[in-house]
Amino acid sequence: MSDVDMRVALGSLELANPVMPASGCFGPELAPLIDLRRLGALVTKTVFTDARSGNPAHRLAETSHGMLNSVGIPSRGIDFFLDRTLPTYRSAGVPVIVSLGGLTVSEYWDLAAALSDAEGISAFELNVSCPNLEAGGLEIGANPVHVERVVRGVVDRARVPVISKLTPNITSIADIARASEAGGAAALTVANTFVGMALDVRKRRPILGNVVGGLSGPAVKPAILRLVWSVTRATRLPVIGCGGICTASDVLEFLVVGASAVQVGTATFTRPDAMIQILDDLERLLQEHGARALSDLRGTLEADRSTAEAMPEIALAPSSMEG
Amino acid sequence: MREAVRVQADSRVRLMRLPRRDAGGLRECAPALVHAPVVSNDRVTRDYWLLSLQAPAIAEGAEPGQFVMLTVAREGKWAPVLPRPMALYSWDRAGGAVQVLYRTVGGGTQAMTEFGPGEIMTTVGPLGRGFYLMPDTGSILLLGRGIGTCSLTALCSRAVERGISVHCVVSARNEESLIGGDFYRNAGAESVWEVTDTEGSSSVDSLRPRLDTLLQRESVRQIFVCGSNRLLVLSAQLADVHRASVQVSLEAHMACGLGYCHGCSTAYPGLAEEAPLVCKDGPVFAYAGAVT
Repeated sequence: MSDVDMRVALGSLELANPVMPASGCFGPELAPLIDLRRLGALVTKTVFTDARSGNPAHRLAETSHGMLNSVGIPSRGIDFFLDRTLPTYRSAGVPVIVSLGGLTVSEYWDLAAALSDAEGISAFELNVSCPNLEAGGLEIGANPVHVERVVRGVVDRARVPVISKLTPNITSIADIARASEAGGAAALTVANTFVGMALDVRKRRPILGNVVGGLSGPAVKPAILRLVWSVTRATRLPVIGCGGICTASDVLEFLVVGASAVQVGTATFTRPDAMIQILDDLERLLQEHGARALSDLRGTLEADRSTAEAMPEIALAPSSMEG
Repeated sequence: MREAVRVQADSRVRLMRLPRRDAGGLRECAPALVHAPVVSNDRVTRDYWLLSLQAPAIAEGAEPGQFVMLTVAREGKWAPVLPRPMALYSWDRAGGAVQVLYRTVGGGTQAMTEFGPGEIMTTVGPLGRGFYLMPDTGSILLLGRGIGTCSLTALCSRAVERGISVHCVVSARNEESLIGGDFYRNAGAESVWEVTDTEGSSSVDSLRPRLDTLLQRESVRQIFVCGSNRLLVLSAQLADVHRASVQVSLEAHMACGLGYCHGCSTAYPGLAEEAPLVCKDGPVFAYAGAVT
């Protein structure tokens, strides 16, 4: 039995521990390699209503301490998801968080309604980093008004907690966090990938078939730490930190800046047992820090107040969402 | 790793998945994650290195044409972030060692050269669908270029074991870059042609008549290709004439190697649904006719 209380509450969703995969960086294909029952939760790839093909090759580019992907979220659609995908996730016996995507605000609502009766879904995570076809292809997640509408509509239709996964590709993440809170989100995931590019300079061509892609991996950890810190100061919602986490020590850093749980993405590519190693190390590390529960360390950053006040953009600036 | 996913788009050939075992096709076993000690890791020519890992769980179930994912970040490090997919060059089921022959092309493979004996390399495999030898195959042709030959070596051994007569073409830019010829000869290949660009012997024009004669004389019914779009197109053309079938092993950048990340899709613009994945649906595909 564990000496440190590793349990986490994300709204009404209770997890045995704070470690879960990031959407898109996990699949039941990992079952032969790692014990999925040890994870706090499983997170599905983003599901859309209809089948989608994804982006042309190449879809991956390695960068310094990170990687770009332009996979483009191929999806078999909701019927395949319900018949085939969800049962395999459910069989692991840990909470399943289903990631929802949409190309219009109402697609998220319709998906939530269609999945609301499905057995074995513990929460929805809204991937709002999708282009909004009703708004010229701009990311839904970049507009607080759209985010609030998406979240509220899903909350109205769902019987499970709703997590809003924020995009980092914006001016003020605090505004989007507050919009998610106003819409009724139970928790926030911070954050999705940073938009980036990689070139073959000899040919003067982009490496990715989609020209641009999402940057992830250890390279983004400092930037994501700062976003988690900002968001935990802007809302009361529990935050799931996601960005470059490879080790238990990384998890501790996210706890200290205010995260309640973490998602591990790119590290699972580097070492498929990264999440298991984190779990093996985390309890011991927490003990070394004198913690008896995970929550003892949450939000314990010893920040210099004058430093914090010198950064008003990060701090509690009033929302500018209504212009 | 550079060009391979473009084989489908550029080569004017259509590819399809090979049959699964339950349809009378390939043997498949679940992959294993092994913290594999390096047995040896030595330079064999100017550009090529041979890595041997102690990984009994992988050696046990491996089939020719399958691959492993090798974590090239060293212990305690998390970069390079992407593991490298590498064809299984050979393995020793009884002793539990697996071998990968690799070429140093960039940061990842350069990092691989630094692993010393005893060091642990996180290894996942065996992965993907390998080559399929038809039950009635009497003689086969293996066409490999550069490092691509190292996907075909284990197939040569397997075919010889089954009493199949194996004819091999080893192609490279120059003599120094030739790799795999000795392996084929030791494995008992019937014939091994080593051809190079510098000699002019590797061109399609000089290979075509020689291969025409060989295929005719030896009644080759299966051709296996890796490492060259030109050789794939040539094989497809020869196969049409000689009523042979073609299988090609593709290379691609991969993140998971298992099929969940969809990073190694063979997708090109304009597809309505997801294209085959090199890691899970391949890396070996059957040639399914020319694009019209």
